Amino acid sequence: MAHWIALQPELADTQAGSAELTDPVQAVGWWALRYTPKVARCNQVLLLEVAASTRLWGGLPALLQHVLASNKPVALMNYSQAATSLIATARLLVASATPHQVALEVPADALPVHTLAAAQPHLDTFARLGLRTWGQLRALPRAGLSRRFGAGLLNALDQAYGAVPDIYPWLTLPEVFDVALELPSHVDSAPALLFAARRLLAQLKVWLQLRHLGVLGLELIWQMDERRHTAHQGALPLRTAQPTEDTAHLQRLLSEHLAHVSLPAPVHTLRLRTLETQAMGNQSASLVLDTHRAGDGLSQMLERLSARLGADRVLQLQPRMDHRPEQMQAWLSATQSVAGNAMNTRARSLGGRVLCSVSPALRPLPAGSSLTCAEHSAAQTPVGQKSLKNKRLPMDAPTPWAQGTAPTWLLAEPLRLAVVQQHPHYQGPLTLLAGPQRLEAGWWGGGDLALRDYFVARGSLAVLLWIYRERLAITAAAPSVGHWYLHGFFA
Amino acid sequence: LYSILMCNGVLNEINAMSFSASFSANFAVNAPVLRAVSADSPAVSRTAHALDFGQDVWRADSLAANTQVGSVLATGHALLDAQLPGGGWPMGALCEILQTHSAQSEWRLLLPALVAAQQSAKPMALPGQRGLATANASAATVVLIGPPHVPFGPALAAQGLAVQRLVWVKAQTPAERLWATEQALRCEAVAAVLAWLPQAQSASLRRLHMAAQEHNKLLFVMRPAQAQRESSPAPLRLILLGAQAGGQADAPTEVQAADALHVQVLKRRGSPLTQSLVVQPQRHTHHGALDRVAA
Repeated sequence: MAHWIALQPELADTQAGSAELTDPVQAVGWWALRYTPKVARCNQVLLLEVAASTRLWGGLPALLQHVLASNKPVALMNYSQAATSLIATARLLVASATPHQVALEVPADALPVHTLAAAQPHLDTFARLGLRTWGQLRALPRAGLSRRFGAGLLNALDQAYGAVPDIYPWLTLPEVFDVALELPSHVDSAPALLFAARRLLAQLKVWLQLRHLGVLGLELIWQMDERRHTAHQGALPLRTAQPTEDTAHLQRLLSEHLAHVSLPAPVHTLRLRTLETQAMGNQSASLVLDTHRAGDGLSQMLERLSARLGADRVLQLQPRMDHRPEQMQAWLSATQSVAGNAMNTRARSLGGRVLCSVSPALRPLPAGSSLTCAEHSAAQTPVGQKSLKNKRLPMDAPTPWAQGTAPTWLLAEPLRLAVVQQHPHYQGPLTLLAGPQRLEAGWWGGGDLALRDYFVARGSLAVLLWIYRERLAITAAAPSVGHWYLHGFFA
Repeated sequence: LYSILMCNGVLNEINAMSFSASFSANFAVNAPVLRAVSADSPAVSRTAHALDFGQDVWRADSLAANTQVGSVLATGHALLDAQLPGGGWPMGALCEILQTHSAQSEWRLLLPALVAAQQSAKPMALPGQRGLATANASAATVVLIGPPHVPFGPALAAQGLAVQRLVWVKAQTPAERLWATEQALRCEAVAAVLAWLPQAQSASLRRLHMAAQEHNKLLFVMRPAQAQRESSPAPLRLILLGAQAGGQADAPTEVQAADALHVQVLKRRGSPLTQSLVVQPQRHTHHGALDRVAA
């Protein structure tokens, strides 16, 4: 014994602030799949065959309660129920025609003929014949009815009264979201596409929530006027670092990207499809109200900054195995750079091969190698624990990449310093305080050869500077000495 | 409220009792007395003194006490902590750091607090985020907006900063800098934001202050010393002065002298501090090694 529920979303009602869905009926249909796998769509009406799942939901009244009270994509819906789909549809049409009356369970025989879809072409004839209800139609002789109005009407009547089974193509929730939206008018500017894209995103959100997915890649495709001799189609791929179902974030990203797009021809159709999705666990909300508003995630912030400023201007650090200061770190685009967790292992492999040494010829140093090692171990000591300062720590300090003798600011390009009377000058004469620290790196190719002696110098304004002197050629007899450069500030 | 009740002031008694409501968080000015209130008779004055207003009323002649848990973060410099309300950098407030072009020492001043902020950030176990994302989800990111030079990772790492949690935003125009700062403040994974805003209006700084307040972030804004004369909504303003170049001392002393921070507190919730503080960073900085070199 089949039982049908007909649902019709009220389209006029859209919540303020939320974007309209592109296809509310379809969205409701996807949502209704949670109640029964047999959901069919007839124009603007959804038909649910619930006989098989009534017991699961605790009876028909409980099921109806669920359908009407739960959080659905469209706030208001008309509904009706009956033993066959056509009666349910007809009752729905009667109820929606008289909105302010109490929905009555109109008996099938009393339903007006215009509520039967198959009777639509013959309504004038019926009116002249004085046929108003299904009951009157059914009372006519079958052979004559079939001869005069065709077999289709007779078949529809049989279906309506349950003599012939209701068979529909059932709705399914698609694996890939791909929805096109024809724009009501041609759109010339890319940012204006956002209004239509909002509706597509609202539809996407319903799909994502029902499939419990988060989106990793999206593509917005627009079809342009074919009469112009330009490209007929444009696309904007969008990728996120973490699966998200937050369409507000996607919308912000889209608007940042669309701001950079220029359209060669007016757009008439917009299409949104998912490129990559990932299953997403739901986060449970806190019972206690948070005092501080929760912010966005890190990747969301980085994506938004990169979208507006450009990916090459939002950077994260990647340590490199090198001894040239400018090669020790690479600032990579934050949206592409790998997470820094791999860094520690890479930097650790650098251990024990620290090349920096202080030239003994220029300045005697008690323990040449202890400089770097002691500094590295110092990096280990937490702030404020002075007792460890003078302790000798083992040689294999685990962060040899860290360099305590280096300045906190580096100049992007070393600044050549003027030399007055063999002394380097930077806003006045410089006093060398410490050094030299000799660096010989890059001789293996793949970069510049760096032969430098680094010094810490004090400028006229008591700023500590990191300067180096280039050594051009290495001959033991006469080391020819090159220019002075400023390479960093101890800030 | 009290000012309305007892506003029949006698001028010479203004300094005798002065207090102000500390709940007007943005209302600290350079002057020690926010709202001078005095009473006609000494008796009323005594009564007002005797009243225990608790923590709700801040007497402007004393330092404001930020007693809420987590409302301050120790600067790592004991001398400076003693002079700041609550004993550290205020969380969820704009701290303005002015410095001359010649005395850029923001890292020395801020690094201990940044390291502490990173270490105190607890990893948030969000069930929705997995893998490497979970490691990054803890609120330990430090965002630099428009720094003047390239931050040098090895040196920062040597002082304990987790450099893989550093984000460098190369914002250029003032509008970009403000926008990026505000976006960074809104991110829950961010522990502190350091913004270099050479040109910023008081109104936009106020907006940043409100954003920091709303999301309870550490926000340091670096500005040139010329901005000293402009009004600012920041409850805490410091100026870093260049160290006076000493005589021709030997290298270690000189390095130490150059390493010292000369901080002047321009504005705080409390009486103004006239003399500048000489803060010696008690950390393992370059001078530790240089001491040994010189020895």
